[in-house]
Parts: sequence; structure tokens; C-alpha cells
Amino acid sequence: MKKYLLTALIAVSSPSFSQETDSLMRSLSADSSQTPVIATFKSSRLILSQTTTMVRKGDLDFKVVHRFGDIAGSEGGSETFWGLDNSSDIYLNLEYGISDRINVAFGRSKFEQLLDLQLKYALLQQATGGSPVAISLAGKAGFTPYEVTTRVFDDFGNRFSYLTQAIISRKFSSNFSLQTAPTLLFRNVVASGGDEETLFALGVAGRYKFSKRFGIVADYYHVFSSYRDDNPNIDYSSPLGLGVEIETGGHVFTLIFVNSKAIVENNFIPNTTSSWADGQYRFGFTISRMFTLGKSKSKPTNQY
Amino acid sequence: MKSIVLVILLMFSYKSFSEDAAKFFISKSIKTTIFSEAPLENIEATSRTGVAILNTETREIQFNIPIRSFDFAKKKMQEHFNENYMESDKHPNARFKGKINQAIDLSVSGNYNVSVTGDLEVHGVKQKRTISGSIKVAPGSVAISSKFDVRCADHNISIPRLVFRNIAETIRVTVSGSFTPYNPTQS
Repeated sequence: MKKYLLTALIAVSSPSFSQETDSLMRSLSADSSQTPVIATFKSSRLILSQTTTMVRKGDLDFKVVHRFGDIAGSEGGSETFWGLDNSSDIYLNLEYGISDRINVAFGRSKFEQLLDLQLKYALLQQATGGSPVAISLAGKAGFTPYEVTTRVFDDFGNRFSYLTQAIISRKFSSNFSLQTAPTLLFRNVVASGGDEETLFALGVAGRYKFSKRFGIVADYYHVFSSYRDDNPNIDYSSPLGLGVEIETGGHVFTLIFVNSKAIVENNFIPNTTSSWADGQYRFGFTISRMFTLGKSKSKPTNQY
Repeated sequence: MKSIVLVILLMFSYKSFSEDAAKFFISKSIKTTIFSEAPLENIEATSRTGVAILNTETREIQFNIPIRSFDFAKKKMQEHFNENYMESDKHPNARFKGKINQAIDLSVSGNYNVSVTGDLEVHGVKQKRTISGSIKVAPGSVAISSKFDVRCADHNISIPRLVFRNIAETIRVTVSGSFTPYNPTQS
């Protein structure tokens, strides 16, 4: 018995050098700090939704977003080359990273000629060993600069709308990310009686990557509005989009089909009347190009 | 009874052995630079938080470089590096475990040109490599430096045809750092 004990003790008390080095390495490189989860989404925009993904400090994201005309239904078909002859909305947007956590964006839509200015703040970052979700807060002011003939929008002040939302995302795996965005839209004046000036909407969007640079995206908004649910004259629909996302170095392309004509929340939350069931869905795309400003490119070095 | 004495003696000898302050030299601030020259733009990134251990008795040397610690001028590039190429969520560290081939006495001050043979693990793929470098021994400190090439294909790092013009297939790696004696009671 004693002999066994002795053998065991010797075995324990004199580990090989390699094991000793290994365990020392383990103790030295044990990382107690949290590691932030990155690249929850490839871009700050999916189809309808904005994401928790931020434009990094000093970077400028230029986006061109396009929505064509109805593919089917009364306005679609071969006569309009399945909608490609028309554009229901065109949106140009510049988003700049003031810091890694604060982004400012300016955009212009064809739809209602809406101008919008937005601030987005990354409140919380998802991290392994830390928060399970990321939260970004966005506030957007929209303004339609041109008078329209309905008389109620003649006044300058009547043409403002304000959007505020909390975007909550989680990257479940390197392939799968999901987010939801409780949203409030406030319009200074609405066109018809009974329409709510303050609308609550909930966005749900997700991405599943099939390869490192290719994935499918889905995006949905539900607007909680009794005016819209019970309206006998206008059939309102919930915006729903499906598509693919492709990343090529500095660009992210999104190729999608969606029923809503408008691109910006201030337009599509109150005004989506086109329906998938009636063939009123369209092709659309987003091109996002990231520019690095303010920092010099990594310069070639001769230190080798 | 005899064996108990023997056990105690063994334990004692082992204890004093491991307390030998000069046995391990460590560094927690290894500087690692990766560089590649490509037609469109050069890619350069630096990590300054690599951990390394040198066992002066066995001449073993180990490196552990966190992939996430590489800092790029272009943050989007840094994201692609982690997300698309290195998959740092699955393979968070690059490692090297090897042994100095030359029978140099690391307790004697001087500059030594050495080669180290061992396993280089990048992107979860191990490659047997012999890498040359230099070691500078001074009283109470050891400094190392080395440069070598890593072929992306050797470590299953795939570069899609769509972006291959942007990224070289071979990455030049430079590693340097100074080590101090490891004192277990201090850490």
C-alpha cells in the first residue's frame, strides 16, 4: 500500500517540464475580461430595420437603397417589366461614426421627398461572459420639405415626424442573429381623422448565414393601430421583406423582395398599403459601401 | 517509514526546484505584427498582448497570441479578419509550442541566433515549423525577435475568389518581446 502511495506521489509531484510550461501558460493567458461579440449583422441596415451594428469611429457608410415597382398585380407584369420600369422609393444615406458608440446619419427618400436626420447610440454590447444582448437606441427626425395639396401639410411644422426606437439584438451563433425593435413614431399632423398621431410598431428581423459572406435575411414590422386594423376604406398591410445578403470586402449587397413601397420607417410604418397577397411586392436592393476617413491607410513598412 | 521520509524528501526537492526564479521567463506584452502586400492595399495589424514563456532549462518556448487583440487601422477590415478569415470565436488564439534547437546556455548573457522547432497553430490547424530568430540574454531579462511567413492555405484560411486581389496568400509575421523572470509568488 505504501509503495502505491509512494508511486502516486512521485507521479504527482514531478510533472514533466512540458506540462509545467503548459499549465503556466494556461494560468498566464487566462482571460478574465469579457470579449465583445462582433459582426452581429454585416451592416447597420437589413431590409426594413436598422440593426444594432454600428459604424465605427471615423468610418462613413454610404448606402444606396432602391425599391422597384410592383412585380405582379395591376401595376406589375410584363408591361412594367415586372416592376423594374418603376421605382417606388430611392433612398440615399450617409452614416458616420462620431465614436464607436455614437452614429449620425442623414438621408433623403424619393417617397414624400423625406429628409431624415438620425442619431444612434450603442447602449449595450453583447459579450461572452457579459450581456446576452446588444441594445442600440435610435432617434430620427423626418421632414418633408415640399408642400402637398392636402392643405393640412402646408405648414412647415406640420410636416415633421419623429421616430424613436430601441433595437435589441442577439447573435445566437456565428451564423444566426435575431433582433427586435420596439418603435414609436410621432407625426405632428395626420391626414385623416381617427389616425393615430403616435404609432407603436414592433420590428423583428433576422439573418441566417449559409457561408461566411452569404446569408438570408428576413424583416417584419407590425404596426399596432386600430385605425389601420379597422379601416373600411384602406387596406393596410404589415411590411414584410425577404432577401439575401452578400458581403464582398468593403461592400455589403442586399437583394430583397418586400411589399412596402417606402424605405424609411417614418414612411413605411404609417403608409404601407401594398400587400403580398395582391401581388404588390417588389424587388429591391441595398448597396452599402464603407469608407475609412480621418485615419491614414496602413502604410507599407520596411522593417522586415 | 523509510518511504515516508523519501516522499517528504521528494516533495521538498521538487518544491525548491520549482521556486528557482530563473527557470521560467515570461512576457505578457509580446508584439506581433502581421503584414501582407497585395495589389490593392497593404494589410497590417499589430497585437501587443501576446503571452510567452521561455523555460531556460528545457529551452522550451511557448507563445499564445489572442486573435482579437490584432488592431487594424480599418475597423471593418479587423471585423472581416476575425469573422471571415480567422474565425476568432472558434479559434481565439494563435499558438506556438516549440523548443530551441541549439544547446545554448540561457543563463549566459549574449546574442544568439537560434532556430526553434515546434507546432504553429493558427485557425485551429497545427503545422510543424522550424522558425529562426534571435535571442538576447542580459542579466534578468531575455529578449526575442523573429520573422517568418505563414501561408493562409496551410491553415485552412480560405480567401474567396471575389476578394483575392485584396489579400495576399502569404502573411509576413514579426514577433518580438522581452521576458522577465517568472516569480510565482508575485502573480
